[in-house]
Amino acid sequence: MLAGGAVALVLVVVIALVVAKAAGLGSGDDEPATTSGGTSAAVASPAVVKAVTSVPASVLDEIGVGDAQTAPAKIDAPRLVADGKPKVLYVGAEFCPYCAAERWPVVVALSRFGTWSGLGATHSASKDVYPDTQTLSFHGATYTSDYLSFTGVETTGNTPVNGQYPPLDSLAPADEKVVHDYNKPPYTATAGSIPFLDVAGLYVTSGATYSPKVLENMSRAQIAAALDDPKDPVAKAVGGTANVLTAVICEATGGQPSEVCTAPGVTAAATAVAGAQAK
Amino acid sequence: MSSPARVTVSAPRWAGPASLVLAVLGVAVSAYLTVEHYSSSTTLACPDTGVVDCVKVTTSSYAELLGIPVALLGLLYFVATAALCLPAAWSSTRAWVHRARLAVVSVGAVFVLYLVWVELFRVDAICLWCTAVHVLAVALFAVVALASALREAPA
Repeated sequence: MLAGGAVALVLVVVIALVVAKAAGLGSGDDEPATTSGGTSAAVASPAVVKAVTSVPASVLDEIGVGDAQTAPAKIDAPRLVADGKPKVLYVGAEFCPYCAAERWPVVVALSRFGTWSGLGATHSASKDVYPDTQTLSFHGATYTSDYLSFTGVETTGNTPVNGQYPPLDSLAPADEKVVHDYNKPPYTATAGSIPFLDVAGLYVTSGATYSPKVLENMSRAQIAAALDDPKDPVAKAVGGTANVLTAVICEATGGQPSEVCTAPGVTAAATAVAGAQAK
Repeated sequence: MSSPARVTVSAPRWAGPASLVLAVLGVAVSAYLTVEHYSSSTTLACPDTGVVDCVKVTTSSYAELLGIPVALLGLLYFVATAALCLPAAWSSTRAWVHRARLAVVSVGAVFVLYLVWVELFRVDAICLWCTAVHVLAVALFAVVALASALREAPA
């Protein structure tokens, strides 16, 4: 009798927890206010954008590969092109802490080839690992360059609505096919993971190149300011990854602009990328 | 007036095999989750955004207790339970073996309640592999508790 009661009690408590969850009790009340549609993104401050888009070449040269942990994988695929220029495709989501980490070096690297406008300011989800990692957002941002085109897709926001992160940007059918075909083994470690980056159909990478832990408890302004110090762990992670990305982008642009593609930090990264492919 | 005499009788015949099968299944699933815990930390990527999201659960701040991975605690729990559910343990004449079995599965059931609460109200995601472990732990508790009650039933 007692044993049966104990078993029934356990089952009743489990059912009660599920029912309470379904009724919406005890969840979502500590979420930050959002601007709209489950994203807390606003436009990034000019000071932050300036710092991130103008990291001195000398600093990046001193960093070299820095603390970048992985290299993009070379793929045999149709060239990814838009407007007659090699195209870089980024797919991520604002809730994702690894996307939060990876956006910093993506912005730094692409700044060497063109100009950003409308970069957002956001953070990763408050209830995920590495909560509230501060970052920029490609949602609503535009990029212009003589050498490249860029498509940045933030699939969802960072604040759950009814238990789901709400959709933000949609993938164009052609980009969806790229993700379907190349964001999976053997090209990437796991299928469908984000952040996903395709550089002109030459290289793909999935996941962050460094741990978001490096950015823990830092504001966007602090992260941006740290990029000027080649000894700083943030600069070594972000700058190192930026050099790696720059090196593979240079392969797509035919080594243009030459002052970027022949910079010591970029050539060091190119050597590391080539070495990683040989393994 | 004396209370009814209680005699120790053998556990129901189904108790041993049923509990051992559940415990061995628990060892297998929790071993997988333990391996995942240690290997997934090297994959710096986010999975899909659905409610069913194992990586979100197994890499959350609740995936460790006092620095010990919860998956590893689960593995140790099922290994200990499997040992206590061996035929020799069920037929043991030592009372502490049976008390220990009941105590271990009871702690396991309570811990499952805590983990379900964490998944639903703290992590906001459900890991199906974790759910399998939870079901096995509750089933083990049910089998052992009922078997123990029948084993010590009044004559």
